[in-house]
Amino acid sequence: MSIPILKLYNYLLISIQTEIDDKTAIQFQEDLLDKIHKTGATGVVIDLTSVDIIDSFIAKVLGDVITMSDLMGAKVVLTGIQPAVAMTLIDLGIHLQNVATALDLEQGLIKLYQELRV
Amino acid sequence: MNTNLRNIAIENSDTIVQMWLEKIDSLKGEEFRFSTSDELFENTNREFVNVIFTSIKQQGSLIEVITFSEKLITLGWPLSYITDGLQLFRRVTIDYILSNSDQVDTNFFSAVLTSVDKWVEPIIHQLINEYTGSWEHILSIQRIALQELSAPLIPVTDGITIMPLIGTIDTERAKQIMENLLDGVIKHNSEVVLIDITGVPVVDTMVAHHIIQAAEAVRLIGSNCILVGIRPEIAQTIVNLGIDLTNLPTKSSLKKGFITALEMTNRKVINLKPMEDGIEEMINSIQGE
Repeated sequence: MSIPILKLYNYLLISIQTEIDDKTAIQFQEDLLDKIHKTGATGVVIDLTSVDIIDSFIAKVLGDVITMSDLMGAKVVLTGIQPAVAMTLIDLGIHLQNVATALDLEQGLIKLYQELRV
Repeated sequence: MNTNLRNIAIENSDTIVQMWLEKIDSLKGEEFRFSTSDELFENTNREFVNVIFTSIKQQGSLIEVITFSEKLITLGWPLSYITDGLQLFRRVTIDYILSNSDQVDTNFFSAVLTSVDKWVEPIIHQLINEYTGSWEHILSIQRIALQELSAPLIPVTDGITIMPLIGTIDTERAKQIMENLLDGVIKHNSEVVLIDITGVPVVDTMVAHHIIQAAEAVRLIGSNCILVGIRPEIAQTIVNLGIDLTNLPTKSSLKKGFITALEMTNRKVINLKPMEDGIEEMINSIQGE
């Protein structure tokens, strides 16, 4: 089961709608990096609105993907993290320190637009 | 034997009541004397013994006791007074029965004790139950009220929300603060949340830790957190304890924090009319008169 990656102008949109297991997460990491390489996208929005559980492994993979995308020249914004998920992550000691976040997809895109324009 | 004793008590109820009333007056505490009028005191005492005798007559029926105890609770009479009064009643009754009988053997003596105990104990139990029941009820109501007040969230304008915190923060409350904060941010779609700690008396490492965690969680869901209302002594404690708040923007007052929040959402406060214009208008209107 792979996660669809949509292209919108210079941006890539990913909405994660299923429970992510470890395999899917790794698969997603590869897919996204490939897609960035292929399209030359400069911004990525990963929307987590429908994700109820994030464990430490998924959090690590997400953090890695973000660093990797950064290396490839694409800025990543995480959007729609649920309160319960945020609390679990903080409890686990995962602070995702250098990751940009936004409330929803709309504000995520605005954030990307502002940061990339500068 | 038992009925016999009961009859003695009921027949001589007037004398026993008289003896009891004489002694009960000494129990009336100082602080108690001021808050109740003598008349009310007298009436309630009479009702008190009446209730006791009714209960004895009806062989331990507690219906009267329940109504009476409810009345006492509303009046705010201390439980200690009531229990002391009942103990006094027990003593007076035993004294009376013993002094008016010619039998002095141990059997009779213990029979008197047992039966008087049987009259008084259920009443004491009932009263204590009613009192503790009402206390527990009050306590639970207050706990709920406290919970409601513990983490309020006020949306002030589009995208800006304030959480004023008042009073000591413990782990349970910190958890509630975080939940309310995150749910509120999602609900009101706030870009900036101001946490106001003006009313928090002490900020130790634990409180700071909780606040930092809440702020981090807020950042994760895509909003920003500003800590406002840091008093000088709080700033000193934070630095002396070596708490690192560098990742958390802080402001001294809610006002400054609010202005920063407006800036973060690309807005600012402007005066609709410059001050000078207002003064000029005023002068003109005075001249016109």
